[in-house]
Amino acid sequence: MTRMTIGRRALVGAAAGLLAAPGVPRAQGGGRCVVGTWGGDYQDLLKANIDDPLMKPQGIEVLYDVAVAPPRKTKLLAERMTRRGTFDVACLSDIDMFEMAQQNLFDEPTPDLVPNMRNVIPALAKRYALPHIYSGKVILYNPAKMAKPRSYNDLWDPKLRGRVGLADGLYMQFIETAALINGGSPSNFEPAKKKLLELKALGAKVYPSNEALAAALKGEEVWATIMWLARGFMWKQAGIPVEHAVPEEGATPIVFDKAVPRNAPNKANGWKWMQAMLEPSAQAGFAARMGYVPTVRNATLPEDLAKQISFTEAEQEKFVKIDYQYIADNNAAYLDWWTREFKG
Amino acid sequence: MARAAALAAARSGRRAGAFSLGPALAVPAALLVAAFLAAPLAVLFRYSLNRYSPREFMIDAVTAENYIRFFTDAYFIGVLATTVQVAAVCTAVSLLFAFPLAYLLARTDSRWKSALVIAVVFPLMVGNVVRAAGWMAVLGNDGIVNHALLGLGLVTQPVRLMYTPFAVHVGIIAVVLPYMILTLQSVIEGIGRDVEEAASNLGAGPITVFRRVLLPLSLPGVIAGSTLVFILCMNAYATPVLLGGPQFKMMAPALYDQFVRTTNWPFGAALAFILMVSTLVLTVIGTTVLSRRMHHRRLEAAPR
Amino acid sequence: MSELVLDRLRKEYGSFVAVDDVSLHVREGELVALLGPSGCGKTTTLRMIAGFIEPTAGRITIGGRDVTWDPPYRRDTGMVFQSYALFPHMTVAQNVAFGLEMRKVPRAEAETRVRRALDLVRLGHLADRLPRQLSGGQQQRVALARALVVNPGVFLLDEPLSNLDAKLRLEVRVEIRELQKRLGLTTVFVTHDQEEALTLADRLVVLDHGVVQQVGTPEELYEAPANLFVAGFIGRSNVLRGRVVERGRFVTEAGLALAVPTDGFEPGAAALALRPERITVIPGAAGNGVSGRVALVTYLGAATEYRVTLDGGESLTASMATPRPGDPLKRVGAGDVVTLTWPAETCRLLAPDRGAPTDEGGS
Repeated sequence: MTRMTIGRRALVGAAAGLLAAPGVPRAQGGGRCVVGTWGGDYQDLLKANIDDPLMKPQGIEVLYDVAVAPPRKTKLLAERMTRRGTFDVACLSDIDMFEMAQQNLFDEPTPDLVPNMRNVIPALAKRYALPHIYSGKVILYNPAKMAKPRSYNDLWDPKLRGRVGLADGLYMQFIETAALINGGSPSNFEPAKKKLLELKALGAKVYPSNEALAAALKGEEVWATIMWLARGFMWKQAGIPVEHAVPEEGATPIVFDKAVPRNAPNKANGWKWMQAMLEPSAQAGFAARMGYVPTVRNATLPEDLAKQISFTEAEQEKFVKIDYQYIADNNAAYLDWWTREFKG
Repeated sequence: MARAAALAAARSGRRAGAFSLGPALAVPAALLVAAFLAAPLAVLFRYSLNRYSPREFMIDAVTAENYIRFFTDAYFIGVLATTVQVAAVCTAVSLLFAFPLAYLLARTDSRWKSALVIAVVFPLMVGNVVRAAGWMAVLGNDGIVNHALLGLGLVTQPVRLMYTPFAVHVGIIAVVLPYMILTLQSVIEGIGRDVEEAASNLGAGPITVFRRVLLPLSLPGVIAGSTLVFILCMNAYATPVLLGGPQFKMMAPALYDQFVRTTNWPFGAALAFILMVSTLVLTVIGTTVLSRRMHHRRLEAAPR
Repeated sequence: MSELVLDRLRKEYGSFVAVDDVSLHVREGELVALLGPSGCGKTTTLRMIAGFIEPTAGRITIGGRDVTWDPPYRRDTGMVFQSYALFPHMTVAQNVAFGLEMRKVPRAEAETRVRRALDLVRLGHLADRLPRQLSGGQQQRVALARALVVNPGVFLLDEPLSNLDAKLRLEVRVEIRELQKRLGLTTVFVTHDQEEALTLADRLVVLDHGVVQQVGTPEELYEAPANLFVAGFIGRSNVLRGRVVERGRFVTEAGLALAVPTDGFEPGAAALALRPERITVIPGAAGNGVSGRVALVTYLGAATEYRVTLDGGESLTASMATPRPGDPLKRVGAGDVVTLTWPAETCRLLAPDRGAPTDEGGS
């Protein structure tokens, strides 16, 4: 990552100025912490569970730079050579976070800086980031229309012809799934292609967004999909007729990770925010509203809720070990395949 | 640039014997354009010459490989062709729909005129995404149209309307129609009603009045409106994504994919440039052909 | 050329009556001016003849053919618009050729006729110009040529001179009159300018509030206005309000008794109209006549106007040929006593009901 001379200058000059300028007021040291995050519910929950109860008492003012992930990634990349970046904490999904971490953007957390990281579930721990909440990839199905599936393979049933819906944005997830049931592995998705084309031949429908898929499930246009459990939980709450099934191949976790950029303006406060984030009291709040599960072992959920959104010890044992490097290296190629061969 | 403008201003001022602010007035706008348009475009163009690597993100280089990839790949050529086709059809159809309405708006003396204008402008206040959501409710398998068709017994199975090219065309036309109407309306308002009356008085029926007087005189509006709408159509993003479904690809969503889903900035930048240049070239060609035809007819009709 | 007949033509906009049962017979080759203040219905009438406005009731016939419900393009009228309404995207020649093209006149013949029409208005050399490259007067003449080239049954002019400057207006006025006579055009001409109407028209139609006030030759209207409105609108009139007290005797509101022809009038309220140029001003007090003091003397070149306040308080304006040096009248100025006389038969008694748009008048 040292061959970026022209790009860097251009980025610093134009991109950083353009992208960062309209953002939040630049946090000055002492008492501020800028969190780059999603808006809406998630931001509200961050404020209610982390900032108000845990940061305010420390006299730290938390500011949010609210956006969806792509602009945040762009900003991180664009600012990587500047001395002062925008964020003290950046929020991204695990795959995105790995992609950014490859560019050596983040400071590594240590137990000295964030004592609570000792409680993190080991399967979710990373060198460059801390996990906030997580869920896993499962099968959602309409119990009135079909039997509970046991394996991803059950979705390749000719009886479900035209009744399996897929959300376009999760293409990599379907590729992984198909690989797992066709002799592939987290580090080899190649066998997925043939398997997915079979699903296509069975009339699987692709929807442009999660919302469009939800509408199709609600209207019973399709009966089953592969989706994050947390979203399935929320859909259920919204009256969409789905139940979830953890496939015998094992659920694939999705983790919302947080990292502190190397050029964070208030780095110390960033670490304090991380520490607060991992407090058991802060973690539980996200479960009821969003269906995501705490990433620390010392946080507990009400039993009823836990049953709907969390994974048993046994299921956690079977979590698919994601090969982030493989995904990062092959994402472009598989998107290309997905766009042309599967959707085309 | 500012200095050059100031010098020019001073020089012309001396010649005219009075100081002229004229050229200096353009300086702030020129600086703004330079800073916010030209500079990012230059950066983007530079990116398009770089090389992509999944691990290293973007490698500094000067290579045409992104452009070569585009023009040697039938898939991407197809995406561009789809984009141009959609833009051309939507521009033509919206012109056809907008003209009568614009004429009505321009000519009405009704006290409801301002209400009508607001009704035309109103959709512009609703975002494209919200509008696309509205179309989903109309065109979906469970939507209003299918309910009506099923209810009337015209079909026994819901007709697939969503996620079809048809839905994209309808959605885009709905988005661009107000721009076309407003552009045409302002031009038609500038054409005196008496000119139409004069033609009619000289024996021209309504169709001839339209063909020989109204249309040629509103041609500047037709050109301006079509240019504006064509550019909007070429760059449509939300509507094709939401109404066309994942199978339907236009340029803007394709380049978004490159930037966001694969972080392939060099190829995304190349797509952006190809989209921009093809929009520009087609617009220039279209405008030239239209004005040339106009000019041509004028000469042809001249009695010698 | 054809005759034009309007039969109880009427136009209502809601409860507003713009044109109130107008009947008119324009003979072949005759030039009739529709005259009246703005809003009197003259333009609405003209536009109904052209077919741009549908009448509420009544009939329009051109050359015996009922065209009341025909669209404009089937009416065979040639109209010159106030704004000229030239086609800005066509050359002068193309503008003039347009009507011929619509009538499918063969190209060769059309070219000849266009040339002739342009020569008629002395614009042959500007055939290839665009309208915006012409002066106002030239545009006006193109508009004339364009309307005339098709030999319309009826020639319609909507305030054709109002956009020209004063000098040009006189020129074009003469030109239009000559053309109209030479070609024998049945013409209807709308104007609010009474002088224009008097000099151009064979007959005038004075309109007010959509109602025809009087139809007649310029002389008839001038000498024998039918009512106070016409008296005030055509030329100028002194108006004295009062009563007919007995046959041949009229007393003004201020008590001035005058001998006037009262034929057709019973004793009772009436108004007396008197043209300023019929009044003679005699310096000093004289036996016969009405005495008063000069309030204002206005020199107008050939004529001089004297505004005189009568002993009873009423005012009259008299217009005399400007006196030569040595004439005693020459020395008369404001404040001097004068005597006014006029032939009794030049007084015209009118019904007192309607006011006139005039700055003259007694009360």
